[in-house]
Amino acid sequence: MVTTVSTPSVAESMVEALSDLSAERSDRFGQLHLTLPASAIREAVRRCRAAGLEHLSDVMGIDWLEYPGQQGPRFTVVYNLYSLRDSSRLMLRVDVADGETVPSITPQWAGASFFEREVYDLFGIEFAGHPDLRKLVTPDDLEGHPLRKDFPLGETPTLFGEGRFLDPASFRAGMMGRDRGRTGWVGGARKGVRSEQRRDPEADS
Amino acid sequence: MSRDGSGRAQVLSSERHGDFETKLMRINVGPVHPATHGVLRLVIDLDGERIVGLSPRIGYLHTGFEKTMENRTWQQVVTYTNRMDYAHSMGHDLAYVLAAEKLLDARVPERAQRIRVILTEINRIASHLIFIGTGLLDMGALTPFFYTMREREMALDILEMVSGVRMNYGYFRVGGLYRDLPDGFEEAVRAFLAVMPGKIDQYRALYEKNNIWVDRTRGVGVLSRDTALEVGLSGPSARASGVALDFRKAAPYSGYEEYDFDVPVMEEGDAHARMTIRALEMRQSLRIVEQALDRLEPGPIKDPDRRISLPPRHELETSMEAVIFHFKLVTEGFHPPKGEVYVPTESARGELGYYLVSDGGSMPYRVKVRTPSLPNVQAIEPASVGGMFADMIVNIATMDPVMGDVDK
Amino acid sequence: MGLKDLFEKDFQELERDGILFSTLGRLVAWGRSNSLYPVTFGLACCALEMMQSTNPRNDLARFGSEVFRASPRQADVMIVAGRLSKKMAPVMRRVYEQMPEPKWVISMGACASSGGMFNNYAIVQNVDSVVPVDIYVPGCPPRPESLIFAVMQLQKKVRGEAFDQHGVELPMVEGWSRP
Repeated sequence: MVTTVSTPSVAESMVEALSDLSAERSDRFGQLHLTLPASAIREAVRRCRAAGLEHLSDVMGIDWLEYPGQQGPRFTVVYNLYSLRDSSRLMLRVDVADGETVPSITPQWAGASFFEREVYDLFGIEFAGHPDLRKLVTPDDLEGHPLRKDFPLGETPTLFGEGRFLDPASFRAGMMGRDRGRTGWVGGARKGVRSEQRRDPEADS
Repeated sequence: MSRDGSGRAQVLSSERHGDFETKLMRINVGPVHPATHGVLRLVIDLDGERIVGLSPRIGYLHTGFEKTMENRTWQQVVTYTNRMDYAHSMGHDLAYVLAAEKLLDARVPERAQRIRVILTEINRIASHLIFIGTGLLDMGALTPFFYTMREREMALDILEMVSGVRMNYGYFRVGGLYRDLPDGFEEAVRAFLAVMPGKIDQYRALYEKNNIWVDRTRGVGVLSRDTALEVGLSGPSARASGVALDFRKAAPYSGYEEYDFDVPVMEEGDAHARMTIRALEMRQSLRIVEQALDRLEPGPIKDPDRRISLPPRHELETSMEAVIFHFKLVTEGFHPPKGEVYVPTESARGELGYYLVSDGGSMPYRVKVRTPSLPNVQAIEPASVGGMFADMIVNIATMDPVMGDVDK
Repeated sequence: MGLKDLFEKDFQELERDGILFSTLGRLVAWGRSNSLYPVTFGLACCALEMMQSTNPRNDLARFGSEVFRASPRQADVMIVAGRLSKKMAPVMRRVYEQMPEPKWVISMGACASSGGMFNNYAIVQNVDSVVPVDIYVPGCPPRPESLIFAVMQLQKKVRGEAFDQHGVELPMVEGWSRP
């Protein structure tokens, strides 16, 4: 029996290369994610870049405050790296608690500057060593970090001429499954439609 | 900027050379400026005409898209996606529905995929037409603007015929399309394809041999390949600097692997290359549209899976399950499984991808839009520092940022 | 015909002979209405439709808006095209204040008129809270024809031929005003 050994992609090879930095692997919908401690991110990005992951797609934040069943630190910062050589993509994740700082990769990768500033502006995660960490997109007089889950959307009710008003939030209230809507309706299960069963490849509609 | 943020020009330092005193000044450009392509503000340090430092200040069009999308159902988000990059709005729609379909493991019929490709490429051509028109307008050439806008009307007529609006089409749905093509679509597209190559030559004849244009763009704003990758640049501006990256070839989606087209890559990295490459790309887009149109076959336009798409109306009379699916979809929409997904696509400006985080609910938990214009705006700094003020205007025009894309 | 005829002949006769009777105010209002130069204030998607309204198919220039002035000091009307974010609002107020009197504002699109589909922390929900709006144009984005119609309505307002929503006649623009 012939076994073919295919060369691992650049992203796959980083699993081995970053194993000494206590990287945990997770595969999400076919995409490789490596979770690292915050202290290791600079070294990890340096090694990834040297190995061929030359294109920095994105640095983004996620706030897990309202995620059902989530334990652990409140935020995650995801670094989205891409290799031009073999079109493989690697996502590095850093779990950050509220108030913790993450070392900035801007000194070694100038393109991360705007991305990190945006994460700081919208989530409040501070990046230590960033040359110019300040707000990027929100007005200077806006206090708070809008994309945090406890920051309100800021909807204003729509007023009509005769004194009627519509409150948009109350229309949507049932859908999140937490509050009751205007008619007392509460929305559906928080489980995904196919979270247990994946689509049957045999069955065609 | 001056400490009180008043926007007044500031003298940073001054020197005497014999009888001649020079001052290093800090000046504000924008956000209301005829040539900054929207509400982009730049704070530049000027030594005479030379730019010594440049700092873009953005956020004047921040709309809170990502926060708003967390409060709309998965299907309602399609209304919002096209308002970010309003020049290539179908690119955003496509990127979002592809990501949502990956989450749902939806199977989009071939006809829908081909129509998506046709419309996205026509939209890309319309976006590049704006680029050429306004780019030359920023350099002072008024005439080409009217020529390109005339052809853009043809493209917008086609897109209006399909979706009902000239801009910000919400035509794509998660699972397929909103509705099938109208009669007369194929004739209109073929007429467009017949006319466009001649028109592209006409535009190029208007500026390519013009000494003023050549002097203003050759050698101006040179970005090397390393600088382009350092800054995170992508799209035609990066390909003009030698970064051979196009997600339609590297990570094909929606059937792009079937079509035969080239991706021009140039080495010079100056404004001249950045403008020329988009004219070349328009020709390739026309090739793709022609091939997709030739292969268009009748068929369904939406994934028939009842959990994503509404069942056909005649079934509601006979089947109870159809009524329940219909009810669930109309009241809440579908629930993708928990997880995170990212699908990169190639928009007219660069890499565009939606990172979707689902918690199993009817609304997205987190939508992060990786828009191409945000790192492209970072590229203005290395391109312009050391050059003259007028060259900075050319650099902004050729990086082609759309401020809705930058500020989200 | 001599100057004597001006005082003796009937004014219909004189009109047939090519003499027009009006007031200076009306003459100035007619001139102002037919040469409304907008200031370039395109913010978002509506700005592209505003640009499209100047293209050969929908020609805004034939209504007098020949050029879009970049300097507010040389402009009459500000077409707020696009969503106004709260960060941009002070800038817009400043540009409005730099425009010389008489000036008008057209709020183009749903986002400028009411916040549109963006009811959140970042967008001003009605541009009228920052600058006084004369004409609202609905649409997302409004077709160029809608914008041209709005400019025509503004022209009527400048000339004093327009009524507001309660049926009250809107005053003609003053030909000569001293502060």
